[in-house]
Amino acid sequence: MSKPDYVEIIEEIFHKYREKKTRDFKYIGKKIVRWDAIDKVLGEPIFTADLLKYIKNPVFVYSVRTEYAHAKIKSIDVSNAEKYPGVLNVLTAKDIPGVNDVGYVIPDQPLIADRKVRYIGDTIALIIAESYENAVDASDYVSVDYEPLEVILDPLKIVEWNGLEEKPHTLIHDERGSDVLSRYKIRVGDPKKVFNEAPVIVENEYRTPMQEHAYLEPEAAIALPEPGDAVTIYAKTQCPFDTRKAVAQVLGLPFNKVRVIAPALGGGFGGAEDVGNEVAAKAALAALITKRPAVVLFTREESFIGHSKRHSMIARYKHAASRDGRLLGIEAEIILDTGAYASLGPFVGWRAIVHSTGPYRVENAWIDLAVVYTNKVYAGAFRGFGNPQVTFAVERQMDLLAEELGMDPVEFRLKNILRNGDRTVHGQLLDHGVGLEEAIKKAVEASGWFEKRRRYNLEKDVYRRGIGIAVFYHGNSIGAEGADYSSASIIIQRDGSIILRSGVTDMGQGSIQSLINILAETLGVPPSYIRVEPADTSTVPDSGPTVASRVTVMTGNAVLVAAYKLRNRLNKLAAEMLGCEPEDIVIEAPNVYCRDDPENSITWQELVEQSFWKGIPLQEFGYYRAPPAEWDEETGRGSPYFTYTFGAIVSEVEVDLETGVTRVLEAVTVYDIGRVVNLIGAELHAIGGYIQGMGYALMEDLYYDDQGRVYNTNLSTYHIPTAKDIPKEIKAYFVEAGYYHGPYGAKGLGEPSIVGIAPSIANAIAHALGGKVNRDINKIPLTPDTLYMIIKKHNLIK
Amino acid sequence: MKVRFILNNREVEVDVDPREILLDTLRYRFGLKSVKRGCERGECGTCTVLINDKPVYSCMVLTVQVEGQRITTVEGLVNDDLFKKIIVSFAEKGAIQCGFCTPGFILTAYALYRIKDKPSIEDILKALEGNLCRCTGYKKIVDALTSIRS
Ligand code: FES
Ligand code: FES
Repeated sequence: MSKPDYVEIIEEIFHKYREKKTRDFKYIGKKIVRWDAIDKVLGEPIFTADLLKYIKNPVFVYSVRTEYAHAKIKSIDVSNAEKYPGVLNVLTAKDIPGVNDVGYVIPDQPLIADRKVRYIGDTIALIIAESYENAVDASDYVSVDYEPLEVILDPLKIVEWNGLEEKPHTLIHDERGSDVLSRYKIRVGDPKKVFNEAPVIVENEYRTPMQEHAYLEPEAAIALPEPGDAVTIYAKTQCPFDTRKAVAQVLGLPFNKVRVIAPALGGGFGGAEDVGNEVAAKAALAALITKRPAVVLFTREESFIGHSKRHSMIARYKHAASRDGRLLGIEAEIILDTGAYASLGPFVGWRAIVHSTGPYRVENAWIDLAVVYTNKVYAGAFRGFGNPQVTFAVERQMDLLAEELGMDPVEFRLKNILRNGDRTVHGQLLDHGVGLEEAIKKAVEASGWFEKRRRYNLEKDVYRRGIGIAVFYHGNSIGAEGADYSSASIIIQRDGSIILRSGVTDMGQGSIQSLINILAETLGVPPSYIRVEPADTSTVPDSGPTVASRVTVMTGNAVLVAAYKLRNRLNKLAAEMLGCEPEDIVIEAPNVYCRDDPENSITWQELVEQSFWKGIPLQEFGYYRAPPAEWDEETGRGSPYFTYTFGAIVSEVEVDLETGVTRVLEAVTVYDIGRVVNLIGAELHAIGGYIQGMGYALMEDLYYDDQGRVYNTNLSTYHIPTAKDIPKEIKAYFVEAGYYHGPYGAKGLGEPSIVGIAPSIANAIAHALGGKVNRDINKIPLTPDTLYMIIKKHNLIK
Repeated sequence: MKVRFILNNREVEVDVDPREILLDTLRYRFGLKSVKRGCERGECGTCTVLINDKPVYSCMVLTVQVEGQRITTVEGLVNDDLFKKIIVSFAEKGAIQCGFCTPGFILTAYALYRIKDKPSIEDILKALEGNLCRCTGYKKIVDALTSIRS
């Protein structure tokens, strides 16, 4: 079978520019001011809630939520609420015209609870009123007769160690007959034998918290009724096409009657994946019923209990090694808590199992993973998607092993990491750039690792310093989660300006700038010629979701394919106009000339005008599809992702023994992203991902009472890092090992930038506190009180 | 209740409910979209405005309290030289991702630079502490602001 033309184009470009240094490009990898920067400093971009300014006569939709985290709904009476002044309608589950479900992967999550409630954020009724205040006030008059059920918050009440068998308990999802959402495993080699004979074995239990995205823009949706029972929705959503599908299903409408537009997003980090569907569906339902514009705005408190979180993890890991420091085998049991609903839990679990042995050569592994339901806020997508959890455990284990072996953590890792030509634990051959070794060496050099590691060992102050490393890999795009494709349209306007359209969204992450840089470089025009339209389901084909660090690679490839075709056509015409060969045409808009004769030039606009008169199409659609991923459910063998981003992080901390307070002093991050396409964007990920990961390591967790109510539902009780918490210095370096199926060799960075942070900080803390403490640093967040208990336990301070 | 104040150098008068917060007045009555609602409890700083040149969370102020005061948002500063210097540094240093927090940071920085033209790093960090950013990790914001110390 011959290759599709788009694959040939990507390979051709890769090989053509393989040896070209990033610094020799014009736009790729340069410090380019992002397309929307000036708008953003002026407060110009339209976020969903800003649209209120432009609509007339809206209705407001408020979600009445349950008082119980787990209960049967015996009956519900909304008649008094309906009589409340200003109230137009009160909707319950029976008022939904289509299917009452917004589950992202499996249909387990009603938009409005019908039979039972499963967590504290479940909606039981929607109040539609003339004003937001009317709607909120009327909610007191909705009365529900509940039959409370046992509230289960501990995943170890659902499954038990040694096989992760399900225990008898009150079922949360009785309709499914089980509260184990999904199971995955890896069975490679003969771990039993290895563990029987291994000279060195290290085992420990690890816990990671439920992290909140805390994007600063709370959820919002505005729906406008359209003629013919259609609806247009502006919503905070990362994935407008998924939102459209969910809304169409709830309303019982065909896709082409539901139009979803994603305006500017004030942060997403994965959290704006499924809640976008929910808020859009609520607004759309109200708009169709009232025939008026309908508005859903979440408060910060609703946002906390109303959208998905990072899965918390409990895991037991056991590593075997030889005396000379070779990793022999891994056994592990991993439990991910998905809370009340599946959301993206099945996929998060899958990504976690894929990465559960870290970026090492592992020939013997026996790993079981279960994703289980509890009555907590549901967990879904969050930057890293299962990988930060397992990487925390693996990288702590590696430090324990290094200590056991009397080796330096860096040397021990270098002995075991994946290199070009190796096979992953799944048996996948790494046949292209593996920049991990280079990344580690760079991080070690830039941090002064060996000297500091030695020096800090000797410290006896109440302020103890430590330095730690963590390494990781992260599969790009969605792998075996589904069909992996993307697309983009480029339309050169008659005046030479350019419109770029695609279905992917900008939530701040910066990959849209990567698309602009790829397009500008390929066509030879300055980025200022290009305007990016917001994602709109009615004007572009589905480009796949904006998730999984896939935009730069997948949509970037689609842009490159379209730009390449346009460029070829323009080169041909320019060659005719200027009298040389098409491959000798240089476009440096506004100038177009033959390489050997720069004096004799035409303008970009003349070239465009001439194309128009000659009937040469000035628009192009680019498509790219990744080869299907392979995964054997029984053994965990296959090729789960088409490429991996690699990274090494070194963190330096200071722990105050008297208070347990940790400060990160300095950090070095080195990422192999194939090729730096958008330099400022890449640095922002390295730094922003670091700080978000530092919050994960040191301060962030959601706390529940025994009835499943969340204690910390706002930003004064759920702490995220502020400007005063940041380290003095974060150095960001990049390795460019090149991926032949990425645009100019690029790979993704959005998610990877958080994966290695928490373990590098935890390893630094363990170093600061000294050998005896090592095993006890097994849980994040390492808050001052957690650390103080450890410090006390080990009598580090009298 | 009738309230009169100066908004972006223009005298304005509004008739508001005594419970209305300044954030809502600015967003809904004056259509100023640079003033963002991130928490409505004085925790995030996205609603920052200047009242008599001092940065204040507009969600924590009742509109009736600003009678006779001077309120400034970024919309009112577009021709100001210091403001221009700050926004250019933000854009060029790449201190922006989603941009939801950005106008708040700009106003806080503007207020700082009005009273100190050579703030120390500590001054800058302290000033910015009340504005949260979940995307950038603050580093480039601080870099932008140190780059314009005269
Ligand atoms: S909205 Fe005012 S501080 Fe958050
Ligand atoms: S840029 Fe997104 S919150 Fe600051």
